[in-house]
Amino acid sequence: MRLNNKVAMMATVSLLALSVSSAFAAAEPRTGGTLTWGVETEPKPLNPQLNGQSKAELILRVAYESLLARNADGSFVPWLAESYRVEQDGKRIIFTLRPDVKFSDGAKLNAEAVAENFRHIQDPAYCAGSSLCALSRHIDSIETPDERTVVLNLKAVYSPFLAFAAGLKLISPKSWQSPDLKAGGASVAGTGPFILQRYEKGQQIVFVKNPEYNWAPANAAHQGPAYLDGVTYRFLPESSVRVGALLSGQVDAIEGVSGNDAGEFKNNPDFTYQHALNTGTPYSLFLNVEYGPTQELKVRQALLQGLDVAPILQSIYRGERTRAWGITSPVDPLYTNGVEGKYGNNPDLGNKLLDEAGWNTRDADGFRTKDGQRLSIEIIQAQATVRDQRDVLLQAIQAQARQRLGVELKLRYVDSGTYTELRNSGQFGSIANSNTETDGIDIENHYLPVNAGGAINYSRTSDPAILPLLKGASATADVPARRGFYAQLQQLAIIDRAVAIPLYEPEDQIAAASYVNGIGFRPFKQMPENAYSVWLSEH
Amino acid sequence: MSSETTPLIKSVGQPRLKASSSLAWRIAGRIGGGVMVLWAAVSLSFIAVWLAPGDIVSLLVGEQVRTPAIEAAIRAEWGLDRPLWQQYLSYLWRIMHGDFGRSYMLNVDVGQLVASQLLPTLKLAGAALLVSVVFAVLVAVLTAHRRWGRSVANGLELLLASTPSFWLGIVLLFIFSFTLRWFPVAGDRNFAALVLPSLSLGLAQGAVVSQVLRRGLEDALDQPFSLTLRAWGIHGVIVRLRHALRHAALPAVTLTGWLVCGLLSGAVITEQVFSRPGLGKVTVDAVLAKDMPVVLAVAILSALVYVVMSTLVDILGLLIDPRLRSQADKE
Repeated sequence: MRLNNKVAMMATVSLLALSVSSAFAAAEPRTGGTLTWGVETEPKPLNPQLNGQSKAELILRVAYESLLARNADGSFVPWLAESYRVEQDGKRIIFTLRPDVKFSDGAKLNAEAVAENFRHIQDPAYCAGSSLCALSRHIDSIETPDERTVVLNLKAVYSPFLAFAAGLKLISPKSWQSPDLKAGGASVAGTGPFILQRYEKGQQIVFVKNPEYNWAPANAAHQGPAYLDGVTYRFLPESSVRVGALLSGQVDAIEGVSGNDAGEFKNNPDFTYQHALNTGTPYSLFLNVEYGPTQELKVRQALLQGLDVAPILQSIYRGERTRAWGITSPVDPLYTNGVEGKYGNNPDLGNKLLDEAGWNTRDADGFRTKDGQRLSIEIIQAQATVRDQRDVLLQAIQAQARQRLGVELKLRYVDSGTYTELRNSGQFGSIANSNTETDGIDIENHYLPVNAGGAINYSRTSDPAILPLLKGASATADVPARRGFYAQLQQLAIIDRAVAIPLYEPEDQIAAASYVNGIGFRPFKQMPENAYSVWLSEH
Repeated sequence: MSSETTPLIKSVGQPRLKASSSLAWRIAGRIGGGVMVLWAAVSLSFIAVWLAPGDIVSLLVGEQVRTPAIEAAIRAEWGLDRPLWQQYLSYLWRIMHGDFGRSYMLNVDVGQLVASQLLPTLKLAGAALLVSVVFAVLVAVLTAHRRWGRSVANGLELLLASTPSFWLGIVLLFIFSFTLRWFPVAGDRNFAALVLPSLSLGLAQGAVVSQVLRRGLEDALDQPFSLTLRAWGIHGVIVRLRHALRHAALPAVTLTGWLVCGLLSGAVITEQVFSRPGLGKVTVDAVLAKDMPVVLAVAILSALVYVVMSTLVDILGLLIDPRLRSQADKE
């Protein structure tokens, strides 16, 4: 299967789209100036390969780049690799590199430098604790037939692998000898349009323009060096402080705007406001099929059918968040809308199911009981991961479950040690969780068996019908075929087995002063895009 | 209040001044005691972190795929494959050589990490201490035994002492940074950036100290000596500042010393609200993530601060109150 032509065509199309859009642009981009961007999350660590925080991507991607970029539909466009080919049904992937790319420490990006990256990520001493280990184990061998060609041979066909290989942020050959390799920082060089100049922990991270940069992805808004002389990301963990800092002109842009604050910027001519749904699994309640009352199918189905999430979202987020229905994000090309509106808001059915399951007596507090035991389900949340008013959301669901179904949901916020212990032992009723991976990796993380790659399989399901669907989807690169497998899985996991109750799709928001141009989201991955094409008009 | 706090001073300042020959002995005792406190802090923290739920390998694997090879790599990297007592002894050996290890989470040298975050926290704590002392002395001296001033100050102190510093910080930011734009919101860049955080941290503590100080002042002003002083024609303000304040200062100094030790924990919230770098945030993150090397280093540092502060309070007590000195001489 040769995809070279496809890439070339995609590049032409995106260039065409570019020239059209620039014809409509109001003003010519200006170079110069620095941007201060208030961000919620401090990268931990700064090593772009070991960092697993999707909220750190906008920072790390100004300095570290990968082989291919992606269009909104998931197709690949040239970046540090000018083309790629897939052979043997996807078991062999061949990248042809651009000839002119340099790391910021002066080293050339050649086949050997790229191969070094793919070799190191297979080493447990390097990849442990990151998502790299799970993906790199598919690599069988690496070849570098010439200076500009890298060949990856896989052990078996695994369709998400191309996206992983194309998206791995590459670091320079010298970085592997740095004592700060795992921590990251200035000694770990990338090829990006900006160079890490200074990191002040707990305060800010400062990047300066790389004047030699000339290898932007084919679908970027411009080519050549960045417009800005530099960009500073200031860490402002408090939501209200970010909003206040932007409103008072102390920063030029922020990300992470709460539903309550969005109105400050939405109809304000001095600011722009935009938001984009995340990729990956929606924030969902995963119901443990191996512990407590949720072992019973009818109890799980009663919750799925009886609750009505829409009005709760409306009141908590003032309509600024999107209801989710399925096993992945509605913006993912692998998403199908087959289950939308097919469940929920049916308390009669919910109560009927609970009666059938034998939970038909009530205690003094109005909760259902069976054999003297209250129908009580404990929802576990790691305190450190509570954000975006999710604690309030869960409280509202707790109240609804009590009123509508007589089910007690206990909310328990725990430290990460306790969380880890409960995850390992499986002694919890439910864990609420989301995941921003794409290309079906999010689905595998949640639905592969716990001991076979399902690192966040919090329903702990090992339903024999699920595995063949996952294997089928990962054994083909054909998107419609993969979508078909996942549609079946979605029907099975949500409607038939009720192992998860999708709540809402997380999103990212950007608010910026109106003189900040070209700020926005990255195609496909939907995270705030780095500052490469941002420019500042007169202000 | 003062009668309650006086024994505290005595117990803290136990080794008494005898003669200059015993001074060396006393200092040695102090240092020895300090080392014991540090050792206890390290050992107790070591045990506490180990007893806390969640094993470190699982925490480091996180929500990722776990295989025996990955587990082995983590154990080998952090020396977790050795028995606990060996880990403990080798840790003690290393810290005696100034090596605090590497952070599990951040993968950086802990000594450098703590050193880099110490200065911003010291700046904040110092400025907050200044705010609280100035506030306390000013308010107490101005309002002791003044009917209206007293009740207004009492109300204000109660309000400040019971306001969560998180909320006070947000209010200060809203007024002075977002609306009036006098001070920057965040960071540790210049003096202006220090004003609001130190107010938000210092005022609440100042309010507590000023209550104690005023009570002490009023007790002192009620004593016969101040009546005598005034009978000599000395101005009321001078009586308050030069004579009564000295009497009232002892419990306030003890309390302040104790509060300074609490500034580190208070700094956690202030640093978060004002997006300042500092030890507070580092500590919370480390505890939440069970980042043992960082937790232990912070424990040692806190113990050190306590030892230094209690010594300082003793010495200050001796300087302020001649009676303590003469008592010491008599023994």
